[in-house]
Amino acid sequence: MAFVQNFPFFCIILSMFSAIISFVMNGRIAKYIHVAMVTAVLILSLATLSFVAGTGESYTFMMGHFPAPWGNEIRIGELEALMAVFFSLIMMLSVFGGMAHIDREVQDSKKNLFYILLDLLMASLLALIYTNDLFTAYVFIEINTIAACGLIMIKKQGRTYVSALRYMIMSLVGSGLFLIGLTLLYSITGHLLMSPAKEALDQIIAVHSYQVPLMVIIILVTVGLGIKSGLYPFHTWIPDAYGYTTPSASAILSSLVSKGYIFLLIKIFYRVLGFDSIISSHMVNILFAFGVIGMIMGSVAAIKERNIRRMTAYSSVAQIGYIYMGLGLGTTAGVVAAVFHIISHGVMKSLLFLSISGLTEVSDGRSDYLSLRGAGLRNRIAGAAFTVGSLSMIGMPLLTGFISKYLFASAATTAGNKMITAWVVLAISTVLNTMYFMRTVLTLYRPVSAEVHKEYTLEKSKIERAAIIGLILLNIGLGVASQPVIKAIEAGLAMFG
Amino acid sequence: MDINNYFLIFPVLLPIFAGVLLMFLKFGKREHMQLYILAILIVDLASVGWIALQPEDTLTLSQFFIAEGLHVFFHVDMLSKIFSVLTAFVWLMVGIASFEYMAHEKNEQRFYCFYLVVGGVLSALAFSGNLLTMYVFYELMTLTSMPLVMHNLSHEAIMAGLKYLFYSVAGAFMVLFGFFLFNAEGRVLYFSPGGIINEANPPGIMLFAVFLMIVGFGTKAGMFPMHGWLPTAHPVAPAPASAVLSGVITKAGVLGIIRSVYYVAGPDMIKGTWVQYTWIILSILTIFMGSMMAYKEKVLKKRLAYSTVSQVSYILFGLSVMQPVAFVGALMHVIFHSLVKNTLFVSAGAIICKTGKTKVRQLVGIGKEMPVTMWCFTLVSLTLVGIPPTSAFVSKWYLISGALDSGVPGLSWIGPIVLLISALLTAGYLLTISIKAFLPGEDYNYAKLVNHEPTWRMLMPMIVMTALAVILGIWPAGLMKIFADIAASVL
Repeated sequence: MAFVQNFPFFCIILSMFSAIISFVMNGRIAKYIHVAMVTAVLILSLATLSFVAGTGESYTFMMGHFPAPWGNEIRIGELEALMAVFFSLIMMLSVFGGMAHIDREVQDSKKNLFYILLDLLMASLLALIYTNDLFTAYVFIEINTIAACGLIMIKKQGRTYVSALRYMIMSLVGSGLFLIGLTLLYSITGHLLMSPAKEALDQIIAVHSYQVPLMVIIILVTVGLGIKSGLYPFHTWIPDAYGYTTPSASAILSSLVSKGYIFLLIKIFYRVLGFDSIISSHMVNILFAFGVIGMIMGSVAAIKERNIRRMTAYSSVAQIGYIYMGLGLGTTAGVVAAVFHIISHGVMKSLLFLSISGLTEVSDGRSDYLSLRGAGLRNRIAGAAFTVGSLSMIGMPLLTGFISKYLFASAATTAGNKMITAWVVLAISTVLNTMYFMRTVLTLYRPVSAEVHKEYTLEKSKIERAAIIGLILLNIGLGVASQPVIKAIEAGLAMFG
Repeated sequence: MDINNYFLIFPVLLPIFAGVLLMFLKFGKREHMQLYILAILIVDLASVGWIALQPEDTLTLSQFFIAEGLHVFFHVDMLSKIFSVLTAFVWLMVGIASFEYMAHEKNEQRFYCFYLVVGGVLSALAFSGNLLTMYVFYELMTLTSMPLVMHNLSHEAIMAGLKYLFYSVAGAFMVLFGFFLFNAEGRVLYFSPGGIINEANPPGIMLFAVFLMIVGFGTKAGMFPMHGWLPTAHPVAPAPASAVLSGVITKAGVLGIIRSVYYVAGPDMIKGTWVQYTWIILSILTIFMGSMMAYKEKVLKKRLAYSTVSQVSYILFGLSVMQPVAFVGALMHVIFHSLVKNTLFVSAGAIICKTGKTKVRQLVGIGKEMPVTMWCFTLVSLTLVGIPPTSAFVSKWYLISGALDSGVPGLSWIGPIVLLISALLTAGYLLTISIKAFLPGEDYNYAKLVNHEPTWRMLMPMIVMTALAVILGIWPAGLMKIFADIAASVL
């Protein structure tokens, strides 16, 4: 066994231990620990990715050398490693991009707590990505929820408590449903590890027994994770949760936390339930329908919204709709598009949320349209970042959003009778996206008379600007050279099967 | 095809970089900035001209891949050469004329920044060798030309800019739709004369794809039912911007239609189907409606905008009958209308910046105040109406005789009749301005006459373009031979 194969395990343990150590440290040191941890995770994940891509096959890693069915396993393939790379990269850039805000907005006594929550979040995301054990997945879903709740209310203001509570209730409903599904699965298969569970299920499906429980399992697991990731009818917690917390937390919540659940869902579809039985159970059609409705309704809600942060949060609802629409196409190409959009949306949304903080800061801290007039002229770099993010969202060529849209549309071509629906909705949603994002961009560049806004002396935080520029470059880079990423996703999905 | 000619991206990148650089440069005097812009525009024209003189088989650049199946590919054929030279020439002319006009607008530097960038994007659009590349630069063109429309940032300007954007995005997505439908068939969409698909009795979905592309690109060309942005965007934009929007950017839509119909789908596939008939009917409707609206319109620039709606549809009509002679006529009309409309808008701009008059009824006697400007205006109006021996006469002659030969049932007669009626209306809405301008009537007060003539910087481009518009009509043979070659290769 090569030494590199230990790296994913190191990553999980490293992030958990940094959380534990940070309990006894003050905020500043906790920050350094967090940064060092994320950097290390990024490097280790890159090494894992190149190793897995080199060997071309996945491997399972047993914890403590207990073989299945007793032991706990993680499984590493190209897709998992790729996700880990992107998640840690986005985490790093989001934290850097809001560093000065964290220092300002979070109470000194709570600073180390903030970084502990981020460490835990990283650990749980990595575990959700890598785990081969359903119960471990459940445990880390709960850890993830708790950490996310903490991040939502870290500013300790009235509204953030309400939104955290709301998030907590919705999330617990979601994980409760997931747990019930898991229990049923365990009772009909007798396994919690993914591979043996799949084998048992294959036998069950072959003899056509337990058809109703299987259906219930599929529904419970899908709906549970759908609620947690903000699929359309269960999206009501999103705007509050993303809209009021500190910018780094908004960026991380919208681009990583919900995506971790979607990735887990894809993994369960492929590795446990079997994609064929998902298709034959018509669950894909339901996902498709809700995804499509979400794409439209999210955008419509965003158009009605006058607060730019809540608007961007509603746009997340629409984008998650895209991802579920891709899954719902029921083809491998659709799943590739969905996974690519997980990455692509992460890159776009974190850029948007970080730039919004730069814009509100030069508008008396307000985030409604009227106050934001001319903000792009007062804070050039945030304005440019928001523009790039918006254009990418609309799907301008040479930016990552276009590649997503292209992948979705070409995946739809092979999806039979869903083709026309998918295209029409993509078209409508593009126009709706254009409406609210371009309206905002224009507002940002509309000059106002000098009296209305006094001169702002920005404390220009170099590290925030560097992170924002890094995210802009990432958007362009993914838009211009997406080929290796798409190849890696395809290879990774092939390893899943 | 494996030779990469990297010089092709020079006329694309030069104006784009120069434009972006302009955002950061500080000039002590306006003259320095103007010299800088002039130099860029001249170098751009020279490089495009140099490319146009090269043989076609050396002009390919196939180096960039965005993703699998997304290949950015440049190939310059005769059509690209003509479009790119026309664009660069008009850009230079209007650029020179705008130096004087822009003096009374704020934020000049921002205007020129986008002006240069759009110029570069248009070269790339002309050089595109496949549908994807074309789509990429088409979207970029929309995006970078939008700030030109809403330059003065008033409420109307912003609303007009948004309207322009929404129409264009909707149109572009229709194009993308068609693109995906073709892609779904597993076709490689590299332009080749006469079309790649080109099969008789195609499946209905393919015809639908072509139709979507025609309507989508037709948005930029101002074809009914997607023409709504034109009359809104033109009056609020600064005159040089409306000149290039009307003269060149609408032609980008035409180029898109030519590429998708004649170079991707293939005329044989469409001939005699509902797509062709609908297309002909839409363009005839647009011709008639545009002229009528122009005839009724009271605001000069809006009148010119409606005139563009109608005139660009002449071109579309010529393309839609799918007959070589009409095709030649359509391409000629691309050139002539571009020259004419730019002159008209530049002279309208001269009137606006020198006298502040925007309505048609205020223009009584203006010919006495600005004789050279109004002479140019009158000459190109005559051209546009199609009075021999000026240029648009030639193009309309070809359009009509081509249409009559095309053998499309019924429409081959109705089309020419509408063209003639529309020519009459064109005379009605353009020449009446000239008549009032030079013959103000008895109650005109000659004592109050002031000379408002703009300086040579504005007059020179007008005179050059007017001269070209007239001369090309007297000696069209050279151009015609080139266009006949193109027509022979695609039909």
